[in-house]
Amino acid sequence: MTLNVSTTAVRADGLSRRYGATRALNEVDLTLERGITGLLGPNGAGKTTALSILATVSEPDAGRLSVFGLDPRDAAERVEIRRRLGYLPQDLGYHRHFTAAGFLDYVAILKEITGRRRRAEEVARVLAATGLEGRARTRIRALSGGMRQRLGIAQALLGRPELLVLDEPTAGLDPEQRLRFRELLSGLPGDPVIVLSTHQADDIAAICPKVIVLLQGQVSFAGTPADLAATASGRVWTAGDRDTRAHLSWRGGDNRWRHIGDQPPAGAELVTPTVEDGYLVLSHTAGAR
Amino acid sequence: MTSSFPGAAEPAAGADGHPGADLLAGYAAGTVDQVVAWSVEAHLIGCARCRSALSAHVDAERLARNRSVLLARAAIGDGGQVRRVLCRCGVPDYVPGLLAATPSLRRSWLLSVLGVLAMVAGEAAAVGIGWMPARGSAGVPGHPDLEVLAPFLLVAPLLVLAGVAAAFLPMFDPACRLAVAAPFPGFTLLLVRSVSALAATLVPAAATAFFLPGPGWLPVALLLPSLALCAFALAAATVVDPRTAAVMAGALWVLPVLWLATDRVPLLIVQRNSQFTCAAVLCACAVVLLTRRDRFDLGRMR
Repeated sequence: MTLNVSTTAVRADGLSRRYGATRALNEVDLTLERGITGLLGPNGAGKTTALSILATVSEPDAGRLSVFGLDPRDAAERVEIRRRLGYLPQDLGYHRHFTAAGFLDYVAILKEITGRRRRAEEVARVLAATGLEGRARTRIRALSGGMRQRLGIAQALLGRPELLVLDEPTAGLDPEQRLRFRELLSGLPGDPVIVLSTHQADDIAAICPKVIVLLQGQVSFAGTPADLAATASGRVWTAGDRDTRAHLSWRGGDNRWRHIGDQPPAGAELVTPTVEDGYLVLSHTAGAR
Repeated sequence: MTSSFPGAAEPAAGADGHPGADLLAGYAAGTVDQVVAWSVEAHLIGCARCRSALSAHVDAERLARNRSVLLARAAIGDGGQVRRVLCRCGVPDYVPGLLAATPSLRRSWLLSVLGVLAMVAGEAAAVGIGWMPARGSAGVPGHPDLEVLAPFLLVAPLLVLAGVAAAFLPMFDPACRLAVAAPFPGFTLLLVRSVSALAATLVPAAATAFFLPGPGWLPVALLLPSLALCAFALAAATVVDPRTAAVMAGALWVLPVLWLATDRVPLLIVQRNSQFTCAAVLCACAVVLLTRRDRFDLGRMR
């Protein structure tokens, strides 16, 4: 399935990637435009592989990728893509002896921000944007997990990239930090292309005008969060008791059972589905195939 | 008091000799020329009223931004004496920042290298100084105690190789994916780190050799074998797994040294024929590295 838009900044056609016998991506077509696109999918669906290919860190076995009209297979064009890129890998490691500011300074040099004054300005800017000003001199080994995640986000923002590829940026953030992160992304100037993967459907609903669901290495859905929620329309009920015929059931905070299924349980009330409901319906359907 | 703020095109001083509001605003915004700015500053030093008036023209946001930048610069640090020396030698001032992520340039690593060198060279040095009796004789005529050099000859180039391997193996760089996704050329990064690590270990190894018994050319003789081993590891990393490449390079040194040591002629490993072989290996590996350097930019060495 392809999300076709007129302002396409990133286009992937038939991307495939194998790791041994495992097919991580299977002929994935997708397009990204300026704005925030959320990538949803269970573990092993191919999200990290897709994002690392977008970030030019991995190469596909087959298929073509175009980023701002540039082809990452060409060495010069690949460098040009990297000049416009901010990347937060899922498993970003840190030199633990660095201070937060020292680490950002190091990444800024890698991003070809070589002037000392300009590097300091960029480091100060991203530290402030991620709420880490007070931790500039703290060694990374002394930072909490949430602070390290914010530091990872900060390094991705260095150089004001036009393409931000963020692999699970909200992992390890507390609810308040997630809110600040959403504000930060929504307020980035220059209307960059942002693609982020997450397991948090509420992150998608809150900040992403577009969502792509990857299941078993394939694009299962591409559209708006409202469209994703609508895929569960007429299939989500709440009831006082558990329904064994439902595909998925769980007890909510109001102590009522929420059911996703084809048939309404006795005495159930049909409810408006959420993005999470739509995602669960899609993953259940894919799992049943 | 006469006006001390010249320049017809500049905002004028007030009639009472104090800078006018326009001049203070221009000074605060940084739009007045340098001579006028100096004059304003000279006046401000002695005039509390104008200092107070100036604060109304200061852009608080800009001030806060400048403060953040200053704090960031202080937190980043200036790189210390090493950076200043390197900059005086013409090295771009961002290069020391790249080296900060090289484990084999950290103090703990370099102290370990010195410790190992002291251990393996200890006995040979003690014999050379005369603190210990020589155990036998073999090898080059005129140098009766050369078999005691075997541990040093075995370990010194391996230490150099280990330093370079730590500088380029992805397992020693937890943020290597960021380096791959960044526009900075991967091959340049590799060379900067490897050459620095090589120098940082080769210099103490060669210095140690001065204290050992044996020919006076021994410190210089370590150069080519060390360079060849490192070049081999780097070149092989474009063909096989980088760790395998480093192990292969190490084996290429360890096996002949052990073999010669059992024949009690360890010094042969750094003598003429060996030097020719090392030079040939170095040249061949340099060609391989240059022709396959794009592998490092792609973030995959093989």
